[in-house]
Amino acid sequence: MTDAPTTDTPPHAGQVLVWDIWVRLFHWSLVACVSIACVTGFLLDASWITLHIASGTLAVALVLARIIWGFLGPTHARFADFRPAPSRILSHVRAQAPARHLGHNPAGGLMMLGLMAAVLLLGLSGLAGLGGALRTGPLRALPYGLGEIALEVHETLALLLLAMILAHIAAAILESHRSRENLVRAMVTGSKQGRPGDHASRPAEAHPRLALLLIAMLAGATVASLPQDDPTPARAPVSELDPTFAEECTACHLAYHPSLLSAAEWHVILGGLTDHYGEDASLDAETTARITNWVLAHDASTVQSRPARLFAGRLDTPTGSMTETGAWKDLHEEVAEAHFLRAPIYSKANCAACHADAETGWFSPFHIRIPRETPK
Amino acid sequence: MRHLLVLPFLLLATPVAAQSTTAAELLAKYTAEAGTEASAERGQALFLASHSGGKSDTPSCTTCHGTDPRAMGQARTGKPIAPLAPAVNPERFTDLKFVEKWFGRNCTSVLGRACTAAEKADLVAWLSSL
Ligand code: HEC
Ligand code: HEC
Ligand code: HEC
Repeated sequence: MTDAPTTDTPPHAGQVLVWDIWVRLFHWSLVACVSIACVTGFLLDASWITLHIASGTLAVALVLARIIWGFLGPTHARFADFRPAPSRILSHVRAQAPARHLGHNPAGGLMMLGLMAAVLLLGLSGLAGLGGALRTGPLRALPYGLGEIALEVHETLALLLLAMILAHIAAAILESHRSRENLVRAMVTGSKQGRPGDHASRPAEAHPRLALLLIAMLAGATVASLPQDDPTPARAPVSELDPTFAEECTACHLAYHPSLLSAAEWHVILGGLTDHYGEDASLDAETTARITNWVLAHDASTVQSRPARLFAGRLDTPTGSMTETGAWKDLHEEVAEAHFLRAPIYSKANCAACHADAETGWFSPFHIRIPRETPK
Repeated sequence: MRHLLVLPFLLLATPVAAQSTTAAELLAKYTAEAGTEASAERGQALFLASHSGGKSDTPSCTTCHGTDPRAMGQARTGKPIAPLAPAVNPERFTDLKFVEKWFGRNCTSVLGRACTAAEKADLVAWLSSL
């Protein structure tokens, strides 16, 4: 790569190269990433989170690289070329026949910056949600409540981004009509027809090597600043099950983690083992006391985890099931009722069939997989 | 017959912590407690029958253990239960406290009362004959 002079070399007579290859690659890669992130975020269930995070991260990286290119790229890649000052936008929108901009017009420039800001904020709020609510990633030290708010913000921003994208597409079609040129094709081929009276741009020289160096440094610094080790976050669900609990409370079902329920709920459940969800699960007094002590020491109030926040203290009756809480039903409304009854799941309460990490109390979306049906 | 009657007292005298046992020992113990001969047929009938005295969700031993004790069973929560017949699952009937705990629970769940020594003897006789 050499620092090419940016006198836009016309590919054909009268054609002007407006969108350099990097801008076009950026545009269509961003389209792909945002589409994947939208589909995995809005339409598919939480088990797609890995792809969602990967596409979102890539979108943020693309925008950061584009920002650097906005200062070091050729003429029409530069932010200076489409600076969306309010006065310029107004005069562009109001003018009967506004001077044609080969690059972005000021209104389009505003949209560009808005879209890029939305993607960056989505990345930030996603990371904060991942850290606070799911307790993973570089921001896992954030308090749970903040994580929940971040996820709400994330969702709102995503809707906003969708609206902006629709407006962007509508504007591209409208502007194509108005200026009688196919703007979408121009973003593929990169060139537009030069016309007399075009808005004059101040030519700028691209510095691809410097840009590449900055992008590489940014990427390197990001990777280097990620925490290397993965220490357990504070107030994590207890990781080792008490041996008596593990022995006595896993014969009929998975070990329901003590952090899933509140102390009051545990008191009722462990006080009524002779009639335990329609079965006799009675234990001698000494064993019951031992299990009760351990469970209460690690109940929902001692941890910060999503299930603890969602299910604990929410049972309709103290001996009800988590699967009857509104939060549980909301989370699982996309899972067909019939799924729960088929082999090898058999019951809604068989959380571990779909949540590989159920016995840790985390129920992380990274570990969800609905098993394939097997013959009964 | 007299020596059989002292057997339960002998067994009760053994320290509770020493729990390891065998199907044959259990059969002898329950038979002695019952004072009658065990019958594998009665055990089979009890195991396969539907009862009405217990909890409504668990009318029969087969609800969880299935009809063939040599095969896997399944708890109502979907969790698999290893076969009951000692012939295919040598872990069965090797821990007195464990056996007593589960006879205790399962009989209340299914029958609504504790099993008698005679019923336990019948069940062990049938299960270990498979
Ligand atoms: C004899 C079998 C058995 C034993 C032993 C047993 N449970 Fe259960 N448990 C059940 C059944 C059956 C359910 C109901 C599951 C369902 O909703 O389908 C249940 C449900 C639960 C639930 C509620 C799950 C939900 O859906 O919200 C908790 C909590 C629980 N058990 C805790 C314990 C603890 C703690 C122990 C040990 C002291 C224990 N269980 C031992 C059979 C058993
Ligand atoms: C049939 C499989 C299946 C069973 C059984 C099941 N879940 Fe889920 N669960 C899912 C799926 C799929 C999702 C993702 C739903 C979505 O995002 O639309 C999910 C999501 C969740 C989440 C939210 C994860 C997150 O952070 O996004 C929690 C918490 C959860 N389940 C708890 C439970 C508990 C507790 C049980 C047992 C009482 C249970 N689940 C039983 C399939 C299952
Ligand atoms: C609600 C489900 C359920 C029902 C109904 C049930 N069982 Fe069980 N049974 C279990 C579970 C769970 C275990 C312990 C898990 C294991 O050992 O694999 C068990 C264990 C046993 C054991 C212990 C064997 C050993 O030494 O390992 C015996 C004996 C037994 N059951 C017999 C019966 C009989 C007889 C009936 C009918 C009166 C019955 N069960 C009904 C669930 C059930």
